[in-house]
Amino acid sequence: MTTTAPEATLTDAAPGVAEATAPRTPPAPVARRARRSPVDIGLTVWSVLVFLFLFAPIIVILVYSFNNGRLLIAWNEFGFEPYRALWEKPAVRDAVAVSLRTGAIAAVLATLLGTLAGIALARKPGKWALWFIGLLLLVSVTPEIVDAVALLPWLVFLGQDAGLSIFNDGTVRLVVGHSLFSTAVVTYIVRARLVGLDAQLEEASADLYARPLTTFRRVTLPLAMPAVLAGLLLSFTLSLDNTVVAAFVQVSGSTPWPVYVLSALRGGLRPEIAAVSTVMLLLTLAALALVAVVLKRAGDSATQIARTMSGG
Amino acid sequence: MRSLRLPSFALAIPAWTWLVTFFVVPVGAVLYFSFGYKPGIFGTHATDVLSFDRYAEALSPTFFEVFMNTLWVGIAGTLLCLAIGLPVAYWMAVKAPAHRRGLLIALVMVPYWTNFLVRTIGWQIILAPEGWMSQLLQTVGITDGPLAILYTRTAVLIGVVYNYLPLMILPLFVAFDRVGPALREASKDLGANRVGTFIRVTFPLARPGIIVGLLLVYIPLMGDYITATVLGGAQGNMVGQLVASQFQAAQNWALGSAMAVLLILVIMVSAAAIGFLLWLVSLPFRVRNRVVLEATA
Repeated sequence: MTTTAPEATLTDAAPGVAEATAPRTPPAPVARRARRSPVDIGLTVWSVLVFLFLFAPIIVILVYSFNNGRLLIAWNEFGFEPYRALWEKPAVRDAVAVSLRTGAIAAVLATLLGTLAGIALARKPGKWALWFIGLLLLVSVTPEIVDAVALLPWLVFLGQDAGLSIFNDGTVRLVVGHSLFSTAVVTYIVRARLVGLDAQLEEASADLYARPLTTFRRVTLPLAMPAVLAGLLLSFTLSLDNTVVAAFVQVSGSTPWPVYVLSALRGGLRPEIAAVSTVMLLLTLAALALVAVVLKRAGDSATQIARTMSGG
Repeated sequence: MRSLRLPSFALAIPAWTWLVTFFVVPVGAVLYFSFGYKPGIFGTHATDVLSFDRYAEALSPTFFEVFMNTLWVGIAGTLLCLAIGLPVAYWMAVKAPAHRRGLLIALVMVPYWTNFLVRTIGWQIILAPEGWMSQLLQTVGITDGPLAILYTRTAVLIGVVYNYLPLMILPLFVAFDRVGPALREASKDLGANRVGTFIRVTFPLARPGIIVGLLLVYIPLMGDYITATVLGGAQGNMVGQLVASQFQAAQNWALGSAMAVLLILVIMVSAAAIGFLLWLVSLPFRVRNRVVLEATA
């Protein structure tokens, strides 16, 4: 089997070239024993470069959050001025507070709706399930901008023409906007979790004369719990990051932080934008690490976690 | 049998109601608005006279150019994501040490979960003519003047490839991971070389994942609004921006609605066309005796 190695060196050029051509021609698989073939090295180098590419702008934001200058783009000197500005400027602090508040409410709402729907899909599938999954798919593939421009007139109509003044409230509008996609995500996750588990436990519970509600509370819900928690945290981070829908439905006075950043874009970005982004990134990562821990403790493999965290 | 019987979908009713109220109805309203018109300067839309005029307006040469631009960015961006992401996903699933896989997935996840707008602003800093990248390139002597990429279509392309790359890598990784080492080894034991194994075994089995990745990247990319706004400048070269500006600056909801509907139609039709093309291209890769992987729970 070791004879394959020289062949490979003939067909494939030097590592540097292999790396350059790697994206165009699909790389060939490599023999188990020939671990350091040029193709292997090329793939590794390429992957490292891509990971650098993936982290480049994030590192730039992290570094520039310590820029003691007037403009974000022009590096002046190292310092903590942006973080101090973050603390002192009420506009930024308020925006973060709005994001956290609406994120939490939207997450709870989406988790409630999604968990119930996910359980129904997993345990009572039928013809209706096809229609419902179709609706969820539609929600998840519709471009955000379409959601946004559709929701704005509708909320204006509900709030002003229909007289439901609750829809004039900034928090309510943001929660509605944030909850749509999250509801679909939670439903997928909960459904996937329960479909993977046999319904025998619930049947046994029913056979032992538990009422449906007791079975639901004592058996089904605990089984689904890891997915419910993961869904809750994912919804929260999705909500924290929601920019497009939020930019359209928000009312002045309750601007979430990404929308604050978006509106700052027109007037020249200041370094505290990078500082607030860094803080929010750390918050998001903490929430996601929790998701991974929850799923791992529930026995998911790395691949399953990857699937869940990329939105089902 | 003891208590009253609820319909099987009872638990899905709250979510269904919520999504219908705040998704189906508003999107339906957009469809309805698109047949209306803008009444005077202060009105946003009127629907007392219905016509296809807004669609004709949306397809006028200026807007048509933006549509073609969006399609170009969408297709080029998706293909670049595939070209860049496929080797990485393959490396992660097959070559990288198994105990590092969790870490590698996390490394792909972090950019994906970083706020979309923030990462795009990161690219604005990198690509700025007065930025460090520009100075570095000039010092090294690769470019003569300052970097002139920001606010061009190239910048938007870099931005979308960057922003949607994780959505390509993750499903491809899952697909390659599912194939597993056993089939590759069997293929080798039966005398196939590495290229043969990739083309005849690994690639055909990973095909569903590739199609998922292409769709996951292409659909949101076509509707992108943020990347083009931050990196493409004010001239607006993607449909998402046009739709937004009709609703915000121009206050012409009728025309904006028609554009939104056209955007969805373009995405659906082109995704179907791409799917058909892929199917044609992949015909020669079909394995005669198909290996069917058991579904992963």
